[in-house]
Amino acid sequence: MIAPPPVLQGEKTRLRPLLEDDLPRLVHWFNTPDVRYWLHASERPDATLETITQRFVTNWDAEASIFWIIETLDEKPIGNLRLLDIDPHHRRCELAISVGDVDHLGRGYGTDAIRRSLAFAFGDLGLRRVDLLTDADNERGLRCYEKCGFVREGLLRKRRLRFGQPVDMVMMSVLREDWMEA
Amino acid sequence: MPAVISESILEGEKVRLRPVEESDLPHFVRWLADREIARWLERLEKAPTLEQEYEWWHDKRADPESVLWAIDTLDGRLVGTTELRLTLRADRAEMGIAIQDKTQWSKGLGTDAVRLVVDYAFEELDLNRVELTADEDNARAVRCYEKVGFVREGLLRQHRLVDGRFGNSVIMSILRDEWEPLERGDDE
Repeated sequence: MIAPPPVLQGEKTRLRPLLEDDLPRLVHWFNTPDVRYWLHASERPDATLETITQRFVTNWDAEASIFWIIETLDEKPIGNLRLLDIDPHHRRCELAISVGDVDHLGRGYGTDAIRRSLAFAFGDLGLRRVDLLTDADNERGLRCYEKCGFVREGLLRKRRLRFGQPVDMVMMSVLREDWMEA
Repeated sequence: MPAVISESILEGEKVRLRPVEESDLPHFVRWLADREIARWLERLEKAPTLEQEYEWWHDKRADPESVLWAIDTLDGRLVGTTELRLTLRADRAEMGIAIQDKTQWSKGLGTDAVRLVVDYAFEELDLNRVELTADEDNARAVRCYEKVGFVREGLLRQHRLVDGRFGNSVIMSILRDEWEPLERGDDE
């Protein structure tokens, strides 16, 4: 049994463990067209309570990944943030974030949540590198990641499908040494 | 579909790809004890034991998203392994290869094997993209991938820790519309 991740307090958001009540919310978020559009896994079948439970509870690899619900300071859940493939040898992980409540997009919540999770990844987990992939046409995302210190490392051609169409993706990373300086 | 895939035998000009068998494992263990070989492989921080190698093989066989082959020369001498890791919902796969018998390096065996795997990914599995990462310092491997048609897409900084030192990885890919299908001798 692995302990749930700690609650992390940011300036505008709080990151907390996934609760059973969140599952229907995740189903709703993942099926919202404007949210799904940007999901790496947009090609999965429509989310159901069963598939979401399987993916984030039953089959969740809690040894190598962390799942947080992002909530506002008044405890309204607005999205999720995940650290994936945490590799203690190479001391790196991948970050994935999705703000599912579209009313809370573009207001700095994602930026705050990412900054807080990076402090945890570099500080508590002792990692050296956090990377992510985002769609090359996701300007909002790219701006936010750059604000958090991520640097573009490459353009991966036709890396995923979005509703059947190939999409280029940008590989970005932030290194501990750069993040400590900022 | 993937359950059938792993039984495929592919024959090129210099090598034959076939399913890995249990009797191959002691050879891998012996070769991977040599840092000159294992240092290029991301999964190996230290030499695997036979039990660990068995577990690796067992997991790969059970994994529907992995296609693993042993690489033999055409006269039946085992020289290494190669793998496709599939992400079918994105029409792509990541590939890996290791010519583990270093007495067989620089003979074009790796290049021939990579061509077979890429051709299989595009022509048989109908994928759209094959990608890989390689240690930036592994000039031999990068040259081989470029010869086959892989294009450099980026440099992942401090992506791997090798013998106490952080190094970069090159990420490369080849797309289906860049691939000229191999001529096949095995068509009926």
